[in-house]
Amino acid sequence: MDEKEVQKDLADAILSYDSVAAEKAAKAAIKMGMDPLNAIEKGLSPAIEDVGDKFEKMEIYLPELMLAADAMRTAMSLLLPLIPKDKAVSKGTVVIGTVQGDIHEIGKNIVSNMLMASGFNVEDLGVDVKTATFVEEAQKANAKIIGASALMSSTIGSQKDIIDYLTSMKIRKKHAVMVGGGPTTGQWSKEIGADGWGEDAATTVKLANKLIKRK
Amino acid sequence: MVQILDVMEKALEGTPMSESDYQLRRFAPKVQEKVKEYGIEYNEKTPIPDDGSLADDVFEAAIELLADVGAYCTSTARVISYSEEEIRRAISEAPKEIELGEGRDRRKLRGRKVGDKTPPWCLLGTGGGACSSDKSFITLVEGYAEIPETNGITTPAITRVGGMRIRPASPLEILGAMRNAVLAREACNRVGREGIPIMNSLSTAESDIAFAAALHPKFGMRRSDAYMICCMDPLKTDFARLNKVTTALSLGGPISMCMGPLLGGYAGGTEGTAVSNVAHHLMGILTYQSSWILPFPLHLRYVSSSCRELLWVISATGQAISRNSHIISLNLNYTSAGPCTPMCLFETSASVIAAVSSGLSIESVGVASNRYEDRTTPVEPRISAEVGHAVAGMKLSDANAIANKLLAKYESKLANPPLGKDLSECWDAGRRRPTKEYTSVIRSYKKSMANLGVELKEEL
Repeated sequence: MDEKEVQKDLADAILSYDSVAAEKAAKAAIKMGMDPLNAIEKGLSPAIEDVGDKFEKMEIYLPELMLAADAMRTAMSLLLPLIPKDKAVSKGTVVIGTVQGDIHEIGKNIVSNMLMASGFNVEDLGVDVKTATFVEEAQKANAKIIGASALMSSTIGSQKDIIDYLTSMKIRKKHAVMVGGGPTTGQWSKEIGADGWGEDAATTVKLANKLIKRK
Repeated sequence: MVQILDVMEKALEGTPMSESDYQLRRFAPKVQEKVKEYGIEYNEKTPIPDDGSLADDVFEAAIELLADVGAYCTSTARVISYSEEEIRRAISEAPKEIELGEGRDRRKLRGRKVGDKTPPWCLLGTGGGACSSDKSFITLVEGYAEIPETNGITTPAITRVGGMRIRPASPLEILGAMRNAVLAREACNRVGREGIPIMNSLSTAESDIAFAAALHPKFGMRRSDAYMICCMDPLKTDFARLNKVTTALSLGGPISMCMGPLLGGYAGGTEGTAVSNVAHHLMGILTYQSSWILPFPLHLRYVSSSCRELLWVISATGQAISRNSHIISLNLNYTSAGPCTPMCLFETSASVIAAVSSGLSIESVGVASNRYEDRTTPVEPRISAEVGHAVAGMKLSDANAIANKLLAKYESKLANPPLGKDLSECWDAGRRRPTKEYTSVIRSYKKSMANLGVELKEEL
């Protein structure tokens, strides 16, 4: 088996949403001594970008997007430790979650997986995430961006709390904050001093690309 | 009959499973398997299909889906399983009618049938949309209560208390929920409809504690109101939601499970979303002991329910439920466009026609995806109700022809809809009617509807 075949296996594993196949292909890449960066950049990344594009066009749906992202994570967990720390393999880290008191996860999951598909390292904190946890986890992961989702008009106030918390800790400039979710708007984002509003998954990915360059 | 203790037993002793495994590896593939097994196919030419066997297949597929995958409790990370026998028994034991409201506003809410000449139950308001102040809350609810067709009120959500934005599960949310109950009743009283039922039981109360606190009788909620409690897509609940169920059951108030399956979400495409939507109805009568159900299926991209595919989902769901059960179901629709635009009125008309012709009643309407504060007026629900009454008894084939013509008016604009104007810009609160500009939009819209064969009341 040559490198191209293994790269194809890695891509196929993502495109068939198969974590077991992704693990097998990643192990094969390691066993044959392939440069892990090569395995990621020529095998996994183009495939997950393709999945993201298909989801954006609604040719596939949320389960496929999430299963492909699972397969990607499985392969990456084997390949990433083998890459020297000075070689960047992701655009940067985004810490993302649904705010305190809000358990809606679908929008957050879509954005989380689309960010991953476009080359970000994503730390997904889940739902009902406390304000301090967003900040602590962003500090731990050295995340340049915090993504805060809220679906209820009674929960979007917690997005403001994250920004206020960062400001009071005097680390506001370290982390860009993007907000999104059902009742949020561009005006709301400006009102609370966020760095941007993601109207949907596609605009959030564009926003993250913009914010990561700024940081 | 499955009761709350049975549900808790199932939630505590069911198959343990991660949430991710439940929704991605259990629910999602099984929906597609059922769609394939039953040969359920969406046809874009018939957004309102006229095929009884298709509807029956959707219903059977939904029963099997729920029996195969169960519901899921995120608090215990376990599956709440139901046997097919339990599901079929719950369907046959579901209430045929409930009585809501007081005095001269007391009415019977019954399930409808395909082509039913009985007008739909009209639950009117915002579908939980946010308002910026007590003043706009009162203006809106007074407006809803004054609509002659209003059978029940769905209030907006209060977002601020004492100048502070509400925080979840905080004293602010509790005070907001109490204020929601007090102001809603006050607004109905002010326009002489004190008996009208409030049916979304406090849109401001997302947490169980706020819900329970605001139900104290001193705030004005009654047993003859209705108690709407959401689940999460797909087929998921948790202790907080079950706490609400237990509280409402103890009061004897009729519960509605509400759910918003997303087209493009865990159930996949159009057909899967319809099967999932019906399965959620069944989950509702079992897990929440719901007396009535409130589905609001939405399109993942447009966050509205007026596109071609969603009309099909609404219609297929309505036909499946009304042909095969007496479950009481009210479809809540969302528009993409905002007030004072013809598109918003055409969108809500299409969704209402799909629902009413297919045997559903209506809750209407979430305007401009319910994203913006105060971007809603009493006009949009009034128009929805007028359309609902006008098309009661309409044949599915006629409804389909009208839906196609309506879609032609707005379909291409769904990705970039006009947001229109907000409450203060197009509703004259002092005169309790739309502004001249909006009245002109409504008159023109009604002329177009008449040209399509739907005669609505003259706009004064």
